[in-house]
Amino acid sequence: MTTTQRKPYEFMVKYQQQKDWIDGRGNFIAFAFFLGGIAGGLFLASAYFDNLLGIFVAFLLTGLMGVSYMFHLTHPMRFWRMVVRPGTSWISRGFTFIMLFGFFTVITMTLMQWAPDATAAITTFKVLAGIFAFAQSIYTGFAVSYVSAIKVWNTAIVPVLFVTCGLTGGLAILLAIMMGQDSSQIVTLENIIRVVLIALAVIIGVYLWNTTYSSSSARDAVKRLIGGSLAPLFWIGVFLFGIVVPVVISLATIGSHDPAAGLMITAVISEIIGGLALRFAILKAGMYQPLLPAD
Amino acid sequence: MRWGMAIELKRCIGCNACVLACKAEHFVPPDIFWNRVLIGEKGKYPNVSKLIYTVRCNQCADPKCVKVCPTGATQQREDGIVWIDDTKCVGCRYCMVACPYQMRSMYEDPDKNYFPGQELTEHEKIGKTLYPHTPGVVQKCVFCKERIDSGMAQGLVPGVDRDASPACVIVCPTKAIHFGDLDDPNSEINRIIKEKHGHPFHPEFDTQPSINFID
Repeated sequence: MTTTQRKPYEFMVKYQQQKDWIDGRGNFIAFAFFLGGIAGGLFLASAYFDNLLGIFVAFLLTGLMGVSYMFHLTHPMRFWRMVVRPGTSWISRGFTFIMLFGFFTVITMTLMQWAPDATAAITTFKVLAGIFAFAQSIYTGFAVSYVSAIKVWNTAIVPVLFVTCGLTGGLAILLAIMMGQDSSQIVTLENIIRVVLIALAVIIGVYLWNTTYSSSSARDAVKRLIGGSLAPLFWIGVFLFGIVVPVVISLATIGSHDPAAGLMITAVISEIIGGLALRFAILKAGMYQPLLPAD
Repeated sequence: MRWGMAIELKRCIGCNACVLACKAEHFVPPDIFWNRVLIGEKGKYPNVSKLIYTVRCNQCADPKCVKVCPTGATQQREDGIVWIDDTKCVGCRYCMVACPYQMRSMYEDPDKNYFPGQELTEHEKIGKTLYPHTPGVVQKCVFCKERIDSGMAQGLVPGVDRDASPACVIVCPTKAIHFGDLDDPNSEINRIIKEKHGHPFHPEFDTQPSINFID
């Protein structure tokens, strides 16, 4: 198996790395998936804690996701065409979710800011926006897992993994926002983060374990992730930054009512790096099975 | 009507004439191949056999690329040919990622020519006007739909008459590639597939390819 420049005669005769969604412009779709995930997670967390600033940041991150998408496209001015095939295309569905999330979030923020007494309306639009925040977060996983040719992606765990990872990133950003606001709900938020972080670690473990048994190309992809060319990205980016550092800081601050701000910010940044590394690691791990020999 | 191919692997000598004919027919840009000849091997010494497969877009009856395309740029005609509307493609590359056969390419660099540092060849110059490719758009084999359409308009029969058949079919020196209507039970291609036990390439991908291979 090789990950270096492919020779023409090696085309689909050897394991072939997926490059369209990771090299060059493909980097931007990895960013878009990451931003969509944390924006969705941040909205859900902010809506739960009634944090208007968090909702606003989630809206901004969704805008950034859109920008990242535009950089990915070779004909970005035709982006409006991406709504026409929601029946079969996950990209089209995702684009629809993003727009609806943006629409309902703007209404929610407007009501929360200028009509705070309209609780019924706020709750209604918050729930609607929340549904599309979740959809925006999970669709990226479905877009990836739909690709049946890439066995390391083609598993039902990928959407769960992406949405959980988005939620951890979103919760981490909300923690940073709440620290600036001197909120009394930080302890509750920290407890939620601990649970979600452990859940993320378990899901990553189950994903790798389960994928190992799906096919030879998936097994090779997992080997590349844990012991091959992608091992630094996986162990340093995903495992160390995404799980170990936040979990250690999180456990170290149990019972502390006033943990050091520097420590908390380190955990937040570490978690965000981990989330980004996870998207890159999984997209980079995508391998196509050779067409030859054909039985 | 559903156009399809039957490829006799024992007849294919791996000469790449089909690849060159396709390049010439569609003025396919450098580094892009609408069809390829895959050469592999099977077994272990001393029982080794060489595998030669001429491959192109399978024009699947249930194509993943059509399903994943968010804009409807990748479409399927009534005769089963899958093609890309250049004016609708946004270049998201989802179709490229989703194609299990990896038969799609992105045309990115319009300034790239076959002989870097030199002028365009006459063939390349003609291609720029006769068959212009849109940069930033995905492209692939379309079973020479232009030849089929113009041939049929003249009353010719694809797979029988040269001017109505795909370039790779008519150029094959060993007549390894057969072309015809898969929906016609009396067609020559169906007879060949039935008699010689044709089978699709990697049926496990579950896309119902229109190209059958005969061992």
